[in-house]
Amino acid sequence: MARRQNLTGWLFASPVVIGLLVFTGYPFLASLYLSFCEYDIFNPPTWVGLNNYRILFTRDPLFWTSLKNVLYYTVFAVPMGITFGVALAMLLDAKIKGISVYRTIFFLPSIVPVVATSVLWLWLLNPRIGLVNTLLRLTGVAGPTWLGDPAWSKPSLIFMGVWGVGGSMIIYLAGLKDIPVTLYEAALVDGASTWQRIRHVTLPMITPVIFFNLVMGLIGSFQYFTQAFIMTGGGPLDSTLFYALHLFYQAFMYLKMGYASAMAWVLFVIVVAVTAVVFKTQGRWVHYGR
Amino acid sequence: MDAEARARLTPVGMALLVARIASVAAAVAVALWLYLGYTPPKRSSYPGREKVIFWHMWTSNWAEVINNICRRFNESQERYEVVPLTVCGGSLKTLIATAGGDPPDCMGQWETVIPAWAERGALTPLDELMEPGDWARLRDKMYPAVREIGTYKGHFYGLATGMNIWACYYRPSHFKEAGFDPDKFPKTLEELDAIAEKLYRYDKNNNITRIGFTPWGLSHWIALFGGTLFDYDRNELSICHPRNIDALAWMAGYSNKYGYDRVLQFQAGLPSTMEASWPFMSGAYSIVVDGQWRIQQIFEYMPNLDYRTAPIPPPAGGKENACWSNGNFMIIPSGAKNKKGALEFMSFWSGVSDPARAAEFYTWGGWLPITPDVANAPIYQEYIRKFPEFKTFVDIMSSPNVQVTPPTPVQAYLMHRLGWAEDAARREVMSPKAALETIRDEVDRELKNTRVSLKPAS
Repeated sequence: MARRQNLTGWLFASPVVIGLLVFTGYPFLASLYLSFCEYDIFNPPTWVGLNNYRILFTRDPLFWTSLKNVLYYTVFAVPMGITFGVALAMLLDAKIKGISVYRTIFFLPSIVPVVATSVLWLWLLNPRIGLVNTLLRLTGVAGPTWLGDPAWSKPSLIFMGVWGVGGSMIIYLAGLKDIPVTLYEAALVDGASTWQRIRHVTLPMITPVIFFNLVMGLIGSFQYFTQAFIMTGGGPLDSTLFYALHLFYQAFMYLKMGYASAMAWVLFVIVVAVTAVVFKTQGRWVHYGR
Repeated sequence: MDAEARARLTPVGMALLVARIASVAAAVAVALWLYLGYTPPKRSSYPGREKVIFWHMWTSNWAEVINNICRRFNESQERYEVVPLTVCGGSLKTLIATAGGDPPDCMGQWETVIPAWAERGALTPLDELMEPGDWARLRDKMYPAVREIGTYKGHFYGLATGMNIWACYYRPSHFKEAGFDPDKFPKTLEELDAIAEKLYRYDKNNNITRIGFTPWGLSHWIALFGGTLFDYDRNELSICHPRNIDALAWMAGYSNKYGYDRVLQFQAGLPSTMEASWPFMSGAYSIVVDGQWRIQQIFEYMPNLDYRTAPIPPPAGGKENACWSNGNFMIIPSGAKNKKGALEFMSFWSGVSDPARAAEFYTWGGWLPITPDVANAPIYQEYIRKFPEFKTFVDIMSSPNVQVTPPTPVQAYLMHRLGWAEDAARREVMSPKAALETIRDEVDRELKNTRVSLKPAS
């Protein structure tokens, strides 16, 4: 009977298990194998040992450019996303009339498909007729060419990322709602100011949520691809050639699947390492209310 | 539902009941429609014939033209049936289909795939597929650029169905307004520079309101300056050819004179260059370099527009009737099932088998033919009489100074980096020489990397 139940359980789980093995497990292992091969899709892969990795680190300057670009994006976009997300969640935690309308408004950008967001921002950042530069002109400032300027292209994409913090904001908001009122009451009784309540009650209590968003944000930003692919194609002057975009070009434009697999594994190792470091530090700043 | 329950039904309950009945009825209606009314798209009009699966990249009005050519082919003989299919992102899908062992029989492509795919054995050499006599005749008749562009390492892989040539379009009214005779288009690049300066217009804040002329596309200017990206005698790339550097320096000179950002700001405010919104038609440019397909677009969207065309004037010591050219190509993947059928269709379309008949297709698309036979066909000559400005492009087609993208297996990478070098020099972040030297080293490295990739050390 127990065996039968077991079998039934596996049968029910089988779509997920098979899907995971076939569509995630197999490509995962295959890409590891391919990273040691030359593979152009047309012909069977041939084993070349560490050659792809050697080329990657010694003979492909664009690899370093793309790595620098993605680090730049991560270093600015992730902390900014957290800061704005938390700040916005706190504002939208206020008990005022029509608050759910405001919440909806700020959440909306995060449910707009990324392609639509990208096209929208292409218009907003248009140097001549875009809203951003039009507003700047009203204040007497001549705006840059944004995505057309190597110095401004990455900041433009970072601004655009901040616009979409609604998704993480909702999670912070849930975290804020979870903070027991008694803690604030105790702080009030002790005579804590607003800033002290934020600093010593609110922020420590939502550190698990910040930690979650930090990890997810890091993983997401290292894989940053779609917006750059649609909006800039890596230009101008490779200033938005992000790691995943370089990888995509190697695989599908230059037919170097083996090399692209090696790139993917290097990225995987970087992401795992960074995430491990963040996990290591959590003991010092993440409070689980215990 | 019994009488008691019905009696208890509240208005909300009633509404829910109605909604439930309505959704069931809708589901039944959809099921009935699927069963009775829906007919899947017809895949074949000639069930008994050998199918030739043809993937192409055209959509909207262009797809209509392609479908008509396929229809005419199917009506012209009784053995094959070409089944056309628009495939967006075609090269990637063909790549995957080829890898999966089920490619189309022929595919319309841009030429950048020829060296890369041929190098990897993914394309059928057409010269070997054709009867030797047919191939010899075609080889001798093709315009030089058509032959070069389809050839890789001595074999012919891509048969053009239409070529693209670039020339100057200009607005006579702007010329008159600036005091120039529109019948006398500049004969040299230096004259063009001088006239362009007088054709620019600015507002009170010194922002550009009309561009006299601004260059783009380094490949065109390399051809005009007498440079080259590929040394065909030595069979190697020549990215840093002195005349290539001169061409890029001249382009950078425009940025220096008119301001890269200022031109970019102006262009950013213009509509896209697609079809009816092409900014030349609205007068945003006085002189612009563009392809022959614009003539038909102008006729369609702005038939009364006063414009002229002329070959791009060369600089001192440069080459006349020169430009970079590319084309729409038909290739046959090496794994195709019906290669003979595909070849027959390609020959039909490009006019190898009957130039006079194919000439009509070329007029439908406003394409440049691949052989003088098609160009000289009465129907094509009639087209040129209808669109006299088209003659500029047909004349350039036979010029030996038309250049094509270098036949290197890293063509896509080369063109990507060439765009970078052009950008770097025009933004003046690097000297033209340094920019070209940078990409020469990059492309050399890539070539080495790819060679390793093709011939792994044993």
